[in-house]
Amino acid sequence: MAEFAGAYAASHGPLLVRAWDRLPEDQRARLSAAYAELGRRIAAAKTDVLVVVAPDHWSNFFLDNVPAVCVGVGAENDGPPEDWMKAYPHRTIPGHASFASHLVNVSLENHFEPSVSHRLKLDHGFCIPLWKMGLQKLPRIVPIVVNSIEPPFPTVARCLEWGGVVRKAIKSWRGKERIAVLGTGGLSHSIGEKTMGAIDEKLDLQTIAHFSKTPAALISFLQKKLPKAGNGTEEVRNWLFAHGAAGGKGFELIDYLPVPGVYVGCGYAAWSATPASRRPGGPARRRP
Amino acid sequence: MRDYWMSKMFFDLQNPALSAEFRSNREAFLKKYPLGEDVRKAIRDNDVPFLAARTNPYLLRYYFFSAGMKDDEFMRRLRDG
Repeated sequence: MAEFAGAYAASHGPLLVRAWDRLPEDQRARLSAAYAELGRRIAAAKTDVLVVVAPDHWSNFFLDNVPAVCVGVGAENDGPPEDWMKAYPHRTIPGHASFASHLVNVSLENHFEPSVSHRLKLDHGFCIPLWKMGLQKLPRIVPIVVNSIEPPFPTVARCLEWGGVVRKAIKSWRGKERIAVLGTGGLSHSIGEKTMGAIDEKLDLQTIAHFSKTPAALISFLQKKLPKAGNGTEEVRNWLFAHGAAGGKGFELIDYLPVPGVYVGCGYAAWSATPASRRPGGPARRRP
Repeated sequence: MRDYWMSKMFFDLQNPALSAEFRSNREAFLKKYPLGEDVRKAIRDNDVPFLAARTNPYLLRYYFFSAGMKDDEFMRRLRDG
């Protein structure tokens, strides 16, 4: 059986690429260190497959058809379509068709109905974190697009439950792959609305604190706060997928810093896969 | 509220070739979409609040990025009209 290899969350934002050179040196150093730490953990956990949960910033879907949740079931997906992401080296990104189909089937059996795509364009929301993590070898990427861009959105409670479904799918997969989950986006930001550029550091710190509280407290906090927050803050849904995939336990903040130069309260987190005694290399990984 | 064709034009302008075409002859490009006269006027006038009320905020931002407006100016117009 496959193994759950951990869950992670990281912010993204176009200006992390387009305006990188204009950021203060100390902020660049902290951001680089946070991404690198996530990359180090993903590599150290010998991650074969990474389920990446991110929004679609109008790269695949338009007003004609806006799925709440879409799973990429193709053997490969396209790299980022944005002109300013051209330097990203991966122009096609291997998926994992059979695991992704399993994930869709487990979802349906559990009364969750995702749409499916056999070829997605993985925009900056997927690829900036993967790029900045500096992974020597990219795991196979199973993309899940969650709509936090064009209302109405799936509820935060549902997104947390979705994480649990992803966990079930990983644990019931017949393969031996080590499979992890990465949610990208958030924390607070505001794009194309009156408050554009505003970062709500207080809200971000409270949100972070709530990931160590009960699921009910976390959900009720977000239900109350998100309607008044900047639109980009809605992407915290992808963190809820990661949180649910980790069984709602083991949240660890890697770093948080508001970065006005990219308009984003940048947050980085990891959820441990297993108790220390069952970490890779420990006794429990010996198989008969 | 969502103005479908205006939003579609903003969506299409993510394509660099179309964006270049738009910048070289804005009036001709606008004719390719069945836009209302009020929308055409708002586009000509860079009337950010009018357009903001009729499309997705990310598409709005892409449009003004494509049209060459600097972020500072875009943010000022979002706030102050």
